Amino acid sequence: MGALDLFAGCPTVSMGDKQVQVETSAWKECLVTKSNSRFAMAYVFLVALPVLGLAGILRSGRNLAAPISVGGAWEVQVDAGKLAALPCGKSVAADLATGFAITQSGKNFTLSFANRPAASTGVLEGTRVGATVSPSAVWASEPGCGDHRLVSLAATVNTQANLRSLEGNLTVNDCPSCSPVEFRAIRKDQTGSKGVH
Amino acid sequence: MPNMFTLVLQIAVVLGVCRLVGNLFLKIRQPRVVGEMFAGILLGPSLLGWLAPRFSAVVFPSESLGFLSALSQIGVIVFMFLVGLGINPKELKSQGHSAVLTSHVSITAPFVLASFLAIYLYPRLSDNSVAFTSFALFMGAAMSITAFPVLARILTERNMLQSRLGTVAIACAAVDDVTGWCILAYIVLLIRAANTGNPVWLTVGGLIAFALIMIYGVQRLVRRFESIYRERGQLSDNLMALILLLALGSALCTEWLGIHLLFGSFLMGAIMPRDTKFVRYVLDRFETIVVTLLLPLFFAFTGLRTNVGLVKGSEMWMYCGLIVLVATVGKLGGSMVASWWAGMPLREAAGLGTLMNTRGLMELVILNIGLDIKVISPALFSMMVLMALATTFMTTPVLEVICPDRVIRGEAEAAAREPLEIKQMELSPAGD
Repeated sequence: MGALDLFAGCPTVSMGDKQVQVETSAWKECLVTKSNSRFAMAYVFLVALPVLGLAGILRSGRNLAAPISVGGAWEVQVDAGKLAALPCGKSVAADLATGFAITQSGKNFTLSFANRPAASTGVLEGTRVGATVSPSAVWASEPGCGDHRLVSLAATVNTQANLRSLEGNLTVNDCPSCSPVEFRAIRKDQTGSKGVH
Repeated sequence: MPNMFTLVLQIAVVLGVCRLVGNLFLKIRQPRVVGEMFAGILLGPSLLGWLAPRFSAVVFPSESLGFLSALSQIGVIVFMFLVGLGINPKELKSQGHSAVLTSHVSITAPFVLASFLAIYLYPRLSDNSVAFTSFALFMGAAMSITAFPVLARILTERNMLQSRLGTVAIACAAVDDVTGWCILAYIVLLIRAANTGNPVWLTVGGLIAFALIMIYGVQRLVRRFESIYRERGQLSDNLMALILLLALGSALCTEWLGIHLLFGSFLMGAIMPRDTKFVRYVLDRFETIVVTLLLPLFFAFTGLRTNVGLVKGSEMWMYCGLIVLVATVGKLGGSMVASWWAGMPLREAAGLGTLMNTRGLMELVILNIGLDIKVISPALFSMMVLMALATTFMTTPVLEVICPDRVIRGEAEAAAREPLEIKQMELSPAGD
């Protein structure tokens, strides 16, 4: 049987030395009453109280803060001339020409270009964005550029502007003589808050 | 225009791999659909894209996925119509307190636990463009769903459909499905209303009006189909096309009203006549093409959106493990405790909990909606897909341990004798 014995306490009749439950109208009535009260009790404990708990969870969760949103397609503004002067610069400029897309999951994100689905992974710390772009096959064909070259992207998210923007630098790793190139990116799809707070 | 060569190649690869993996899963006593879900993951960036990125880029170039998506969505629209068609309102009404309590607890327990987990996951896997309420409600709805069609298939394969456990499980899953879709509709409505700026009451009013038109208007029309079927023993191609048109039209209406295409097709299925032969006839006409062609495309499309590589590092795998744990404790544990409380023997209650923990295809449908409306992130989507696979995969082996075939047969025989036993139930002899 389950948690409670449904039949306990309902009328019985004597049959020799044993007490036996027989399907009488009083027995049926007892059974229905007990069944209903047990159902009501179970419903309160297992359904109603958890639903109240859910309301509490939703209320308390409203104060939680999640990382700022950087997901979406970004349009990049960069001095192509300065970038081309760097090792791998022409390839990077070609990749950036069509902008990039960020797919965000909490603090982590992947950065992709039109022709490269997951070119980089990065981390968001507060409003600081950092990512390292790995070289593509095209990069390797550029003189002075090879598999070992990585390009770092460091930027700050401007959350004040109407259009969310990124402002920062692109640097080529292992190249002390190369000076960072400034860039600016503007998010194309300015998605608002999804759902009720 | 789609590149037809690429599209046909994609369909051929998807069908071949899904059939192959589905057959392999049948050999390990798993439903074919679990294998097909797994095949979808194999074709995506989690395996094929990782092992053979160039081949993957040739077969599934990103610019071609829109067409695969469109085909798979049409498949899911028709599938949801069939799910609605397969739900029998008598099953919802005829069950006693036990099924009502179990089904409601099997929704509230995982829902509340998932919302509680959302407090932990929201700052880690979401961003501030998603409101916590939407995130928590979506997590709750996604974890509280039961895959009615997969459940029915498992019960059929184990000859449990007519057992007490089977009938209660089917009734609970039907209640879960209807309730789960209503909750999800509400969440989608809230999110879309917030995004578009349309007042919620307008959408709710429109939906109520639409539901009334469907129930009191369209339902009368579709009853005629049943009469024609009774007279002729079949429906003409024109009538079958009309049924399909009504399902698509209903889907368009709910999309236009601000929720989702799938709710409309589900509603259309749910208002269809309930005569068993008629339902079987319509299911047979649509099922083959949906199950063999269109659903594998949906699995592949879901697999292409699932990137297990995003679940990187011990921290992310811990989140994934937590999601599987909470989903299982909430659904399996909640259903088990409720049915045990309602008087079901412990072993049977555990079996019912295991069955209710089957999420399968329905979970994938919900998760895709969540990713489309951007209420969950790609990494969380991948974790939830893994959870759907894990909970569906575990059903058959766990059920074999908890309720082996011989026990099911024995309990079915005992259930047949039950009325007599109730009358003759002995209490302890007085004075003992």
